[in-house]
Amino acid sequence: MIKLQNVNKSYRLDNEIIFYALKNINIRIEAGEFCSIMGPSGSGKSTLMHIIGLLDKPSSGKVFLDNQEISNLEDDEISRLRNEFTGFVFQQFNLIPKLTVLENIILPAFYCRKSLSFEPKEKALELLRRFGLEEKKNSYPNKLSGGQQQRVAIARALIMNPRLILADEPTGNIDSRSGREVMKLIDDLNHKEKITVILVTHDLDIAKHAKRTIKIKDGQII
Amino acid sequence: MINLAIVFKEGLADFSRNKLRTFLTSLGILIGVFAVVILMALGLGLKKYISDQFESLGNNTIFLVPGRILSGGGFSGSASSFTGTFDNKDVDKLKRIDNVVSTAPLTLKSANAQGTIDEEFIDVMFSSEAIQDLMGFEVDVGRFFDKTDLTKRAKVIVSGPKIAEKLFGGNQEAIGKKIRIEDVRFTIIGVIKSKGGGGFGGFDYDNYMFGPYTTGYIFNPEKKFFRIAVKTKGEQYVSQVKEDIKQEFLKRYDEENFSIVEPTELMSAVNSIFNIFNLVLVAIAAVSLVVGGIGIMNIMYVTVSDRTKEVGIRRALGAQKSDIMYQFLTESVLLSFVGGFLGLALAYVAVFFISRYFPAYIDLVTVAISLSVSSFIGITFGVFPARKAANLEPVEAMRYE
Repeated sequence: MIKLQNVNKSYRLDNEIIFYALKNINIRIEAGEFCSIMGPSGSGKSTLMHIIGLLDKPSSGKVFLDNQEISNLEDDEISRLRNEFTGFVFQQFNLIPKLTVLENIILPAFYCRKSLSFEPKEKALELLRRFGLEEKKNSYPNKLSGGQQQRVAIARALIMNPRLILADEPTGNIDSRSGREVMKLIDDLNHKEKITVILVTHDLDIAKHAKRTIKIKDGQII
Repeated sequence: MINLAIVFKEGLADFSRNKLRTFLTSLGILIGVFAVVILMALGLGLKKYISDQFESLGNNTIFLVPGRILSGGGFSGSASSFTGTFDNKDVDKLKRIDNVVSTAPLTLKSANAQGTIDEEFIDVMFSSEAIQDLMGFEVDVGRFFDKTDLTKRAKVIVSGPKIAEKLFGGNQEAIGKKIRIEDVRFTIIGVIKSKGGGGFGGFDYDNYMFGPYTTGYIFNPEKKFFRIAVKTKGEQYVSQVKEDIKQEFLKRYDEENFSIVEPTELMSAVNSIFNIFNLVLVAIAAVSLVVGGIGIMNIMYVTVSDRTKEVGIRRALGAQKSDIMYQFLTESVLLSFVGGFLGLALAYVAVFFISRYFPAYIDLVTVAISLSVSSFIGITFGVFPARKAANLEPVEAMRYE
């Protein structure tokens, strides 16, 4: 489903390459896989995640989603893929503070150009029920605990029925008990709903949830 | 497409979090719109005031005036010439022209007059009885002078209400009183109702007195008139009558020595002058709107950099560049529209008070212009900050704290 071919990411200063964040990366991830990307900080794992998540473009090499090369795509088309194909879960939750829990979850649906097969509000309420946050629907994110915020963020990632969940250190900013709850949710998404999950972490215990671990160091797969 | 309601909600939430900033930014537009609307209201009021003055003359009346009064749409120097040129022969000629209903020659006499309670320097207009109909005078007390008074050269006079008040203390009090103008004693036989007006070159009839022109020959031994008013049968005859008069008068006078003036024509000339005057004032006020727009642009740049991370999050969730652009543009339009709306509201209040002293008013066009101009400013000055936000790189934006 996802294929990276000879992907490099370098940063230049005055036309001279000063730093390689990623060097010659080749990865293939199949649909339904639960895969973790592990590495110490500064290893390039976040850059890799941004490239897989279509938030960033490689300096060279090719990225395929469902055998479609994405470097030729227009910005609007890439936005559409982020909207419909991928659901993001961030370490910092990245909820929008001035929107309520419910509005935050619905937000991706507002950016969708095609007609949806579901009613976004109903779907959001259903997700909130499932995550035990129904009574928080009209609260603002700053009134929620870290664990609750992360569950809202997961609900937001799921609203568009994505085929891929990209989770970047999802337990990094929450206590261990909430962390376990969050990981349980992510496990369920892969096991029960067959959503492809890519988990970026530096924590071995978290990485163990995945069936496959891709280790990265100094921008290279080891 | 992103829901407008939620964009509004977010914009308003942002405004309420930065109340002072929002208020100060809107203030620029508020002042600009206020100034433009007030000036437009005053301009409209002035126009109405002038047209009311001319309207009382009716649209089937023509004036003969010595010299050239109108040239190329404006006034010329000899416009206010009060020297008599025309005589009774001219009046007779005018009477013979087809479709002329009545004619009224005019002469003016200014003199000191002694009343029962005060002494005033007054203007007396000597004319025929037709002047009552021509000017639309209504008698309040007593009667207007008539044909008999003209043939008898009766020493009778009709007073405007203001001068009657000043000299005798009221309309009733003035009736039957004698008034001495130079060495001639006149009897006041009537007082007309107030016509209002005055100023801007128009006559303030309330301050005039009116007498038979035949009696006026006492002060006017050459029997010359400085103006002749001609009433036609109806509006549709005005141009033909004008042409006939012109042909007749060219036999006797040079083209430069007389003018045939329609009040409506005069009014449009006056209006065109005030229109230009008003346009210049409004243009100056509009400069403050541009300054207000720059204020909005400045604050929108601040907003964009404040919310860089938020833009990154939205892009990650699938927002297209146009969605981001649309969101920030909506906010800048809202900001400027609110300023415009408040400016308009404030101008309404101000005009309400001004209108007690001057017929200023705000019409629908002014409302439409001020609201659409303030929205337009929001778009024009919001587009650059909004484009900056839309073009942020998602990864860079998300890293921003």
